[in-house]
Amino acid sequence: MITFFLVLLQSGNEYNGGAVVAMVGKDCVAIASDKRFGLELLTLATDFEKIFKMNDKCYIGLAGLATDVQTLSEELKLKCDLYKLREEREITPKKFAHLVSSTLYDHRWGPYFCEPCIAGLDENNKPFICSTDLIGCINFAKDFVVCGTTARELYGICESFWEPDLGPEELFEVISQSLLNAFDRDSKSGWGAVVHIITPEKIITRHLKTRQD
Amino acid sequence: MALAGEDFCIVAADTRQSDGYHINCRYAPKAHQLSDKTVIGTSGFYADGLNFVKKIKQRMEWYFHQHDKTMSTTAIAQLISIMLYQKRFFPYYVFCVIGGIDENGKGCVYSYDSVGNAERVQYQAAGSGNELLQPFLDSQIGLKNRSNENETLNLTEEMAIKIVKDAFSSVTERDIHTGDCVEIYIIRKDGVECQKYPLKRD
Repeated sequence: MITFFLVLLQSGNEYNGGAVVAMVGKDCVAIASDKRFGLELLTLATDFEKIFKMNDKCYIGLAGLATDVQTLSEELKLKCDLYKLREEREITPKKFAHLVSSTLYDHRWGPYFCEPCIAGLDENNKPFICSTDLIGCINFAKDFVVCGTTARELYGICESFWEPDLGPEELFEVISQSLLNAFDRDSKSGWGAVVHIITPEKIITRHLKTRQD
Repeated sequence: MALAGEDFCIVAADTRQSDGYHINCRYAPKAHQLSDKTVIGTSGFYADGLNFVKKIKQRMEWYFHQHDKTMSTTAIAQLISIMLYQKRFFPYYVFCVIGGIDENGKGCVYSYDSVGNAERVQYQAAGSGNELLQPFLDSQIGLKNRSNENETLNLTEEMAIKIVKDAFSSVTERDIHTGDCVEIYIIRKDGVECQKYPLKRD
């Protein structure tokens, strides 16, 4: 029990493992995650998706401690729904980013061990992505954001693969290849992947088969 | 990093020498030519790396005088493994890769950990940027995660150099310990060529 809490305090973010990446394209954004759920190096499930839909134009990916991923995703969904009821409109990704940030900062001294990546299209269908750290410091990126135990591998490969103004299908190829090759070098992520492409007209969701080791 | 082609091999290393956030030197070569068929790249503790290379060169000279021939790449590969394991309980803090041409004229790469575990591979990244580099090499040279499993890569020298340059400029972007300049050693049947390219200095 004590070991568990020590592990949690030292590396809550690395206890269950996971990888999330989001990218900007031309009038579209993509967000992808792996599907592994494990306890350190022991894999327990391979259908654990880490991306949650807030509304038709805003998705959030949460990498980190699985229990916090579930709690936080439900808390954020609740806040989004309440916003919709009160304001009678959908929350924009940028406002949602600040909502996530302040929710996380509420727990400044006992944080959720989660690193969120947010991807969406704003009211003018302009692509928006950002990521935050576990206490809510936002990183507004113009190209791509990554988080999870595979972050370093993802940074290296996304930096090589990503380029501006990719169309939805090109973006799908780039984000999939980046994620797959990155998590194959990380023992704590992998075991299948899911990719969401958000365009003004529709959302394309694809599940990828990957190597199972 | 190092990668092997059919009849050539490339060893490339940046030249930054840093200590935490501090840059000690912008031109401190980490790749060293051992013979006209072999080049070594070292990362980790720079002083250990220099000393280790010095020791290898010394052992190669003894070999030369004893056998009247220069050491082959495979022989050097075995020597390095042994030299590293000899210091098993007070290791050289170096992570090296060697690249060269083997006895059959084929390109080869050997990669090591600090205590002498060795493996012959087609390509390898080592050092502070290895996590950033390796997946890129998996994709571009290893052709991992392609829909056509039987696809084979006919790696030409021009392609390889292009991949190396792309890889280093990407890693420089995100790894603070990598930058300043990259030295690319191209090892061919008829000798070794060294090219230098500037990288971002921030």
